[in-house]
Amino acid sequence: MAKVLDDKKKGHGHGHEGEHPAAPMVEEVSDFEILEMAVRELAIEKGLFSAEDHRRWTEYVHSLGPLPAARLVAKAWLDPEFKKMAVNDGVKASLKVGVDWIKSPPTQFGTPSDYCNLRVLEDTPKLKHVVVCTLCSCYPRPILGQSPEWYRTPAYRRRLVRWPRQVLSEFGLQLPADVEIRVADSNQKTRYMVLPVRPAGTEGWTEDQLAEIVTRDCMIGVAVPKPGVTSNVKLPVHRAIHPIEHHHS
Amino acid sequence: MTNDPAHIDLLEAIRDRGRPWQELAAQYGVKNPDPPWKVTLDATCDILAAESCAAEGRVEDPVLPALERRAEEDDLSSTLYAGVPFPECQLLALAHSLIQRGLFDEQELAKRMEQVHERLTSA
Repeated sequence: MAKVLDDKKKGHGHGHEGEHPAAPMVEEVSDFEILEMAVRELAIEKGLFSAEDHRRWTEYVHSLGPLPAARLVAKAWLDPEFKKMAVNDGVKASLKVGVDWIKSPPTQFGTPSDYCNLRVLEDTPKLKHVVVCTLCSCYPRPILGQSPEWYRTPAYRRRLVRWPRQVLSEFGLQLPADVEIRVADSNQKTRYMVLPVRPAGTEGWTEDQLAEIVTRDCMIGVAVPKPGVTSNVKLPVHRAIHPIEHHHS
Repeated sequence: MTNDPAHIDLLEAIRDRGRPWQELAAQYGVKNPDPPWKVTLDATCDILAAESCAAEGRVEDPVLPALERRAEEDDLSSTLYAGVPFPECQLLALAHSLIQRGLFDEQELAKRMEQVHERLTSA
């Protein structure tokens, strides 16, 4: 059974370093790549979905990313009326940045994974929001793209609700004691994103400039925007040490 | 799902022998943090969670609801497939969940993998 897996292990790992000056590619087929394709083909063959449906979903997933959410934040910083709309009706505000929570997905009425209720949580200098999904990994994908690996881990999901201040400090975000932290627990019906406080030093900036510093982490709430910072934190992922107990029927 | 999931030899062989993306990317100097197949994997998960026929006016139960899949992925990622990086562990868990539900079996998957391997390496 493992025969298919064996021969790809041979002949790799030596002498490749430095030989790919431009547009390097992985030049071997991995067992995981084969597994993904085999699972998909069998699912199609068994009638679980059609190849055409899968193509449409792939295009949709491929189109997701954090830029619309960053644009929403930048617009809200620049336009108080838009900010009001975003806080009151996140789905309506999303339309202004090109995201239709209801009609964009292939179902034409949202997705079972994302639903259609976005809440935009506005930070203030004394109030910091941070988003989690304690149950699984619900995430505002239509506007923020795929969740990072750490967001999916039990180590983040369990600990954030117990020790929010300490977990935020692990991300390098040290908040003064007088700043209240509110953890928003995503659920099957509601998705959250954070509208952070516009940082000092950005006066006169354009929407494009502002959007650049609104990183994914800022909109999850584990970072705050800073001029000059346009990338997310890279964290080692710690596994949870306690067994997981699920009580689904 | 319990904390003592059934062993599936094929998937454990892949767990033990498979080279995860982070290893391949480092070896070949590729900067993309995700393997190219992650998008199609996510699409597969999405579509299995969707009431796939609802768009045509029919409502059917999803094949594999997102919450069930994620709960099983959590279990499996901390037991049988502990130590496998993401998204490889997501893929192993998805295959495991589908086999456990009898949607296809281990032998079918092994055979299909051989066919895919032959195809991909025949050029």
